[in-house]
Amino acid sequence: MFKELDPILHSQLRLAVMSLLIGVKEAEFTFIKEKTGSTAGNLSVQISKLKEAGYVDVLKQFKDNYPLTICKITPAGIKAFEAYVKALQSYLPK
Amino acid sequence: MQEKELTEKESLFIIQQMISRAKNDFVDTGIGPILWGTVITFCSLVQAAQIHYQFNLPFDIWFLALLAILPQIYISIREKRERKAKGWDDDVMSYVWICFGVGVFLINFINNVQARELNHVLREYTKLTGNPVSSIWSYATCYLLFVFGFPTIITGASRKFKIMTFGGIFCWASAIAAAFLPTKIDFLLMALSATLAWLIPGIILERKYRAQKNANV
Repeated sequence: MFKELDPILHSQLRLAVMSLLIGVKEAEFTFIKEKTGSTAGNLSVQISKLKEAGYVDVLKQFKDNYPLTICKITPAGIKAFEAYVKALQSYLPK
Repeated sequence: MQEKELTEKESLFIIQQMISRAKNDFVDTGIGPILWGTVITFCSLVQAAQIHYQFNLPFDIWFLALLAILPQIYISIREKRERKAKGWDDDVMSYVWICFGVGVFLINFINNVQARELNHVLREYTKLTGNPVSSIWSYATCYLLFVFGFPTIITGASRKFKIMTFGGIFCWASAIAAAFLPTKIDFLLMALSATLAWLIPGIILERKYRAQKNANV
C-alpha cells in the first residue's frame, strides 16, 4: 500500500532544508544556503512555506550589527519528516 | 538547487546527502584538546622530574593549568562565533566539560583540606614505626585520572571518535594503577594519559579540520 507523500516536504529544496535541520539543533540561514547550494531568494521563499506549515521556527537576531536568521525544526516538523521517510519506504522495493 | 518533481530515489538521496553534509560540518578545531593535552603533559612531566631529581621550582607548576583557562575561554568564544549551526549535543558536551573543570577543582580543594588534617599524622606514624606511608596527595592523582577519563570517554563515545575513547579508558586504567605505584610514576602515567586522551586526538582533529577547511575553499 503506497502512502501519500507530504506535498510540503516533497520538494527538492524544502526536503533538503528539513534534512539539514533534522541533524542540528539550529542553523543560520547562511549555513543552509551554503549546504543546499541554493540562492538566497529561493531559500527564503521555501523556508517561509515550511514556517507557514509549522515545520520550522525562524528567529531573527543581530550578530556584530548584522541581521542573523536562525532556523530550527519544530516538533511538528520532526513528526512530518519521520512520516515522510516512512511513506517513502513504502515506495521502495523490498 | 532547482525546484522539480522528485522521484522517491531522489528524495532519499537528498536526505542522505544533507544529513551527511550537516554531520561533516561538526568537525572540532582540536585546539582545545591540544592546549590541555600539552599543558597537563608538561606539568605532569615537570612534577615527576621534581620528585625524581629532588628540586623545587620557585612556583607551583600547576599554575600553568590555571593560566590555560584564559586561552581556553578565548578559543571557546571564537569557535562559537565561527560555528553557523548548533548540534543537538553541543550544550550537553559543554556541561560535561564544565563539570569536569569543577570536578578537578573540587578534588584539589578536598585533598588540600585532607592533607592539612592527616599528613602530619602519617608523618608521625612513619617516625614511630619506621614504616614509610605515602602522603594523602599521592592518591589525588588516582582521583584526577578518574575525572580525566570521564568526559573524555563521553565525548569520544558520543562523537564516535575511538582514539579519544581509548585515551579516556587509558586514564581509568592509569587511575587504578596509580593507587599501587609511587607518586613519581603516577605523574608519568598522568602525562601519558593526557597525551593519549587529548593531545593526540586533538592533533588528529586539527588536521581533519584543516583538511575540511581547505576542501571548502
